[in-house]
Amino acid sequence: MRPADSTASAAFDQAAMLAALRARVVRLEGSGRAAAGRLDIPGLPGGGLARAALHEVLAAAPGCGAAFAAVLLGRCGGTVLWIAGAADSLQAWPPGLAGCGLDPADLILVRAERPQDALWAMEEALRCPAVAGAVLVLADNLPLTATRRLQLAAEAGRALGLLLRPGMLTAEPSAALTRWRVAPLPAVESPRWHLELLRAKGGAPDGPWTLAWQAATRQLRIEEAPAAHRATR
Amino acid sequence: MTSRFLALHLPHFATDRIRRAERGLSPDWPLAVWAAQGSRRLLAAVDAAAGAAGLRPGQPLADAQAMLPALLLRQSDLIGEAQALAELALWARRYTPLAAADPPDGLLLDVTGCAHLHGGEAPLLEEAMGRLRHAGIAARGAIAGAAATAGALARARSDNPIAVSGTEAAVAGPLPVGLALRLPPAMLQSLASLGLHQVHALAGLPRGPLARRFGQDLLDRLDAVVGRRPSPIQPALPPPELSAAREMVEPIVTRSGIDAVLDRLLDELCDRLRTAGVGVRQLTLLAWRVDGAVQEVAIGTGQPMREAAHLRRLFATRLERLEPGLGFERMALEARATQPMTAGMQPGLAIGSRTEEADAELALAQLLDRLGQRLRVRRVAPRASHWLDHAVAALDPQTCPPPMPEGWAAPAWPVLRLRRPQPLEVAAALPDAMPALLHWGGRTHRLRRLEGPLRLEAEWWRAQPGQARRDYYRVELDSGLRLWLCRAEGRWTLHGHLP
Repeated sequence: MRPADSTASAAFDQAAMLAALRARVVRLEGSGRAAAGRLDIPGLPGGGLARAALHEVLAAAPGCGAAFAAVLLGRCGGTVLWIAGAADSLQAWPPGLAGCGLDPADLILVRAERPQDALWAMEEALRCPAVAGAVLVLADNLPLTATRRLQLAAEAGRALGLLLRPGMLTAEPSAALTRWRVAPLPAVESPRWHLELLRAKGGAPDGPWTLAWQAATRQLRIEEAPAAHRATR
Repeated sequence: MTSRFLALHLPHFATDRIRRAERGLSPDWPLAVWAAQGSRRLLAAVDAAAGAAGLRPGQPLADAQAMLPALLLRQSDLIGEAQALAELALWARRYTPLAAADPPDGLLLDVTGCAHLHGGEAPLLEEAMGRLRHAGIAARGAIAGAAATAGALARARSDNPIAVSGTEAAVAGPLPVGLALRLPPAMLQSLASLGLHQVHALAGLPRGPLARRFGQDLLDRLDAVVGRRPSPIQPALPPPELSAAREMVEPIVTRSGIDAVLDRLLDELCDRLRTAGVGVRQLTLLAWRVDGAVQEVAIGTGQPMREAAHLRRLFATRLERLEPGLGFERMALEARATQPMTAGMQPGLAIGSRTEEADAELALAQLLDRLGQRLRVRRVAPRASHWLDHAVAALDPQTCPPPMPEGWAAPAWPVLRLRRPQPLEVAAALPDAMPALLHWGGRTHRLRRLEGPLRLEAEWWRAQPGQARRDYYRVELDSGLRLWLCRAEGRWTLHGHLP
């Protein structure tokens, strides 16, 4: 419906017109994202992540990054593609990922010889309507154009897209919706992580939190929230 | 329908093949092929010019050179000849899907029901021989109701006869025994000494004594040639389940031309697949080049498919391998393997609301096809094995993985493993005591915590003998890094990263 039609009525309803315009802008900005909605992840600060979008995870250690990605992807409830470059000497180990809640029956491992192949595979996976989640494991920074392409591909599908990069890299600009940093904490049985929200589109940086992964209940738990959050509680 | 067979005899195939490979040889120069038999060098094959000069296969090489000093000689290459004949059989698939090589120098084609496509049997025979002649291969042909009869007619008669089905015995009767039955020279000599020169003389004799004297093989060959015994042919390739073909008036050279032909073929084939209610699993594009070479491009799909757009996309990257040279004159698309479209593929037909799920399943299968063409894609099959190297097996991504065994997944396992374990240097206060320092990645790390060992014995029923047991340790470095170390036979290695 065009806004002009609503203004044709006797009363000039400015609020209604603004709401219609806002809805239209939302549709223009990310049609797929609005339809795909959010993925609820109990225990994650913010309560979840937007589907049909790209999220960046910087990992201070390779293990905690992979485990955190597995926790997020395990909640997707569908086919998950794990795309890794062949140059990487590390390979995903499904029994460990399953311990982090990612069902091996949903998991498809993809190994790309060249970085451009990995990017192509990620783009194809994000566009596919049957893929619930995909992670691209990278050793280098990506140019802004590449992340923009991935973000557009993600909006065309309904998958949760993750970019998993080493945390030592200087944070370059990217088109991803959010950027998280995860670092390992001393843990006895269940893994514990230090999590920060470094960047969020349309939001402010947040954190840090202390998270624990409870394998028995397959849930994340916030052990310690930032001071500002505790004060408002 | 009575069967019809087309036989092609290539009398100078060995030399024609050499002339085709070495374009510089003038057709006027006599050419012969020789082979070593023990310490003797004998002619194995001669071309028409050398034959006219009186040379015969089996002649000593020195004699031949003395008779014809200008004779060109090449060493015989039986494997190369067999390969060339097999390639020629593939070329002959343009006339019928059931084309076979008839070694050493013939082709057999089952043209039952194919002749009308070329305007009848005589034009078909004429066209096949014409194309071979154009490619520089001398050929004689015949068509008959039995493969062996056609072969015998092509070899023994030079007028390219076409025999009506049912008259095999009559047309094969006057043929000379040696050429018609392809008998070894020794048997031929003893038959000649008995005055048996023609097929009908042999066919009239009582069978028992003939079998006792010359063996069952002679009777089998005789029966096949006179049509008393069917002689099946072994096609070079199993016939495709469905196919579509297109002849080009002008040979096509450009990629856009090839794409256009492929589009039409795909549309045609997909229509046929839909009519037959099946989807394709293996699809081959065959392209006949003007010079007689046949090129193949094959694709496979993980699920039965009949969507032209998807198949076209799978072909897109592979088509670069085609080398048109002077152009393709014929292209065909053959479905080598098809499968019925299962209920799982189209549940929407049964329950109206499930079409979306079926679409998603199809989209995933197509995505995996595309990824699988360029990358290594696999699913994970959990295996019940405590030995970590055996706990995971790779699985075709389109198959359904088996269920997870009890205790297979654990948060204590590493989430990442090294493709190749890295040796580590550790320092401990006492020999054999727990390490306090770890040297890895060019730096020395202090250990904050160490859990273990988790001792695993090798699986004696699967492991190689001498496989040492391993002690696994969960280690936390002062930098916060959590590692999965292994100690076997006193050596420390890094095996993976913990969550």
